Amino acid sequence: MNQIDTDALLEKIKAETGCQPEVYQDITDEDALCIPVENLEAVIGVLRKDFGCYHLSGITAQQRESQPGKIELIYHFWHGKGVSLLLRLPADDPKVASIIALLPGADFYEREAAEMYGITFTGREETPRLLLPDEWDQGPPFLKREASDG
Amino acid sequence: MFRGLFYLLIFPGLAFQVVCGLIFEWIDRKLLARFQRRIGPPWYQPVADLIKLFSKEDLVPLGSYDLVEVLLPLISLSAVLTAGLYIPIARFTPFSFEGDLIVIQFLMSVPTLAYYLAGIASVGIYSILGGGRSLLQYFSYEVPLLITISGPAVMAGSWSVAEISRSQLTMGPFIIFQPLGFILAVVGLIGKLKRDPLDIPSASSEVVGGSLTEFSGAKLGFWYLVMNVQAVVGIFLLVNLYMGWSNLTFPFAAILVFLVEFLLMVLILSTTSAVFARLRIDQLAGLGWRILVPLALTQLGFVILMGV
Amino acid sequence: MDKISIPIGPHHPLLKEPLSMRIDIAGERVLGGTLRMGYVHRGIEKMTAQRTYVQDVHLIERICGICSHVHTTTFCLGVEKLLGIDVPPRAQYIRALMCELERVHSHLLWLGILSKHVGLETVFMHTWHDRELALDIMEGISGGRVSHAANQIGGVRFDLSPEQEVMVKENIGKLKAQVSGVLGVIENEPALRARTQGVAPVSADLIRDYCVVGPVARASGVDVDLRRDDPWPPYDQLDVNVITRPEGDAWARTLIRALETRESLRLCEVLLRQMPEGPVTVRAPRKVPEGEVVTRSEAPRGEVLYYLRSDGSDKPARLKVRTPTLAVLSLLPEQLSKIHVADIPVVLAGIDLCIACADR
Repeated sequence: MNQIDTDALLEKIKAETGCQPEVYQDITDEDALCIPVENLEAVIGVLRKDFGCYHLSGITAQQRESQPGKIELIYHFWHGKGVSLLLRLPADDPKVASIIALLPGADFYEREAAEMYGITFTGREETPRLLLPDEWDQGPPFLKREASDG
Repeated sequence: MFRGLFYLLIFPGLAFQVVCGLIFEWIDRKLLARFQRRIGPPWYQPVADLIKLFSKEDLVPLGSYDLVEVLLPLISLSAVLTAGLYIPIARFTPFSFEGDLIVIQFLMSVPTLAYYLAGIASVGIYSILGGGRSLLQYFSYEVPLLITISGPAVMAGSWSVAEISRSQLTMGPFIIFQPLGFILAVVGLIGKLKRDPLDIPSASSEVVGGSLTEFSGAKLGFWYLVMNVQAVVGIFLLVNLYMGWSNLTFPFAAILVFLVEFLLMVLILSTTSAVFARLRIDQLAGLGWRILVPLALTQLGFVILMGV
Repeated sequence: MDKISIPIGPHHPLLKEPLSMRIDIAGERVLGGTLRMGYVHRGIEKMTAQRTYVQDVHLIERICGICSHVHTTTFCLGVEKLLGIDVPPRAQYIRALMCELERVHSHLLWLGILSKHVGLETVFMHTWHDRELALDIMEGISGGRVSHAANQIGGVRFDLSPEQEVMVKENIGKLKAQVSGVLGVIENEPALRARTQGVAPVSADLIRDYCVVGPVARASGVDVDLRRDDPWPPYDQLDVNVITRPEGDAWARTLIRALETRESLRLCEVLLRQMPEGPVTVRAPRKVPEGEVVTRSEAPRGEVLYYLRSDGSDKPARLKVRTPTLAVLSLLPEQLSKIHVADIPVVLAGIDLCIACADR
């Protein structure tokens, strides 16, 4: 399987979407791009169409101590080698476009992130809960909140 | 009077058939276990299971028809026991009459219909599914089975099981003339007994317990008893229809031969349930109407031609 | 015919672990279904952040009751990458040996479950009997039948003695003979074929859209296996034959898994033959330097992904686990249409569910 050339990917994304992705180098041995939230669908489109990278391995949601007030989403793609896309959402209103129309396989990953971190994925149907019990009312269980929130 | 009661309650009636049913269950389970590299249960396991079931609490789901649920296994049990009365056990037959084969067929169908009603009466989703499946299965195996077992009757020129069995003494066992018919009858019997591979109405991975999902305690115990006695009666019937051996007129040999034939039938049933995967209901319907019915008709035509 | 909705789960004879489905049916036809999980969600991802790396290895082993070893392997690979330590080659080989044995035991377990679902209880008993051999090997070398506690950060916890090697070789020889018998049944048993062939076929495009991994993907002709395509040591020194089938139906999945079992047994023998001498562990520091790492490996059910972020302390800041079952499960609603009620067990079995994995 041909691995993706990061420079070519960067160029292509710039040309197609007009956004300026940053190369994110903290992930060991893996290509990662930090992209603006609104360009997610376009970048995934580029990845799929121009680079044949169809496999999304998962979506990680996390809060980083160095980035207070942000929730981070990492889309782990794989094409012979890992390619990750990093998004930073504001913690008070985490919203991002759903990609299940592009990649139906992202469905469960999005639902998990939505339930565990309270992220809203826009543009998809309201679905019943996947993991949390129906009677759960204490908010997203994995989300770290300020002590004053209880 | 006393003799009649003995026939009804001891031999060849209630006690004998229930004991035979339990023995059948044990041999069947033991054989299956050996096929599956297991040790299998001890000889008293079927009795122990029955005692345990009878002592268990009887749970009735809300909204189900309790009286119907109690009556259905009892009616089924009496139907199969009555059917068993007309079947000669090693030539011994107290109640035989002309046409009893048809009565036996009718009585043997009662448990299937009761099984369907049990599914409807106990209002569970799986029960209803299982009940519906049991009727579908009934329509698939019953027609070829009826055509098939009229083969021996036509050949013997009588609709009495005892007479059919007796006529094989001079003509030779019908299994030699109708091997195809025998195989079809075994398939039909497996379908009737809802045994693996035709356990479609009670397939646990699909419909949990089928019609009997909501049954518990003594009622379930009676249902298991019905299944076992039905199996025994079915086996006795096939043995009489297809395996009456000639030139063995003294009584001891007849009993021995009957026993061997009975065990052979159990072996056939256990082997088929060990080596075949369960069919899908549409596959069974296809098998029944596209393959079994034409084969059964062929066999019957052959028998009629032979008679001419 | 009226539409009715049947519940499958959380407790149902079909499921070995709790999962809930509502399946709409009309007569014997399935119209569709919805899925609900989380009954065995233990919050392991969150729990790892409260424990040290050394403790986490043992916690992660409990994610799955079948493929426990591959989870700890993937986790240790990630931590070792962050630490920058090289695991001794002998330890790598022992890890891979356990991985392959685990694949054998997982696939045999699965073959048994499929046969049970289609009413072939004999094959179920026989495959589980054979699986016992694989468990015996693992118990003999690690002391644990399912939770082996084989991995530690920096290597493995035990060495293989020459006697153990002989025992492993003997049992693998026996297993090979048994597996060819099972293969014969799958290829020739008409009733099994009738129940699985042509059931819920999935095209390669659908597999790509749903990001499906593992044997299910390979049964639809998607030629992907991380042991070959993104190898971790020692798989880069091994020649893994990736088996694919074009059909994409339940039968292809059955056959794939049986053939993979045979391939895994071959790999076990190769691993034993090539096993280098030397130490099996190196000392690893307790604190892991700051950094992030993504590790992937091929579990019996497909790609498993670990994302690990360390903040420089002795506890991980975030650990994300994506198990293969979660990826394959997304295909389930798609498959649960236009099939028979009797095919539900076959479709479910074809996915090779591991709910505890998917829930974490």
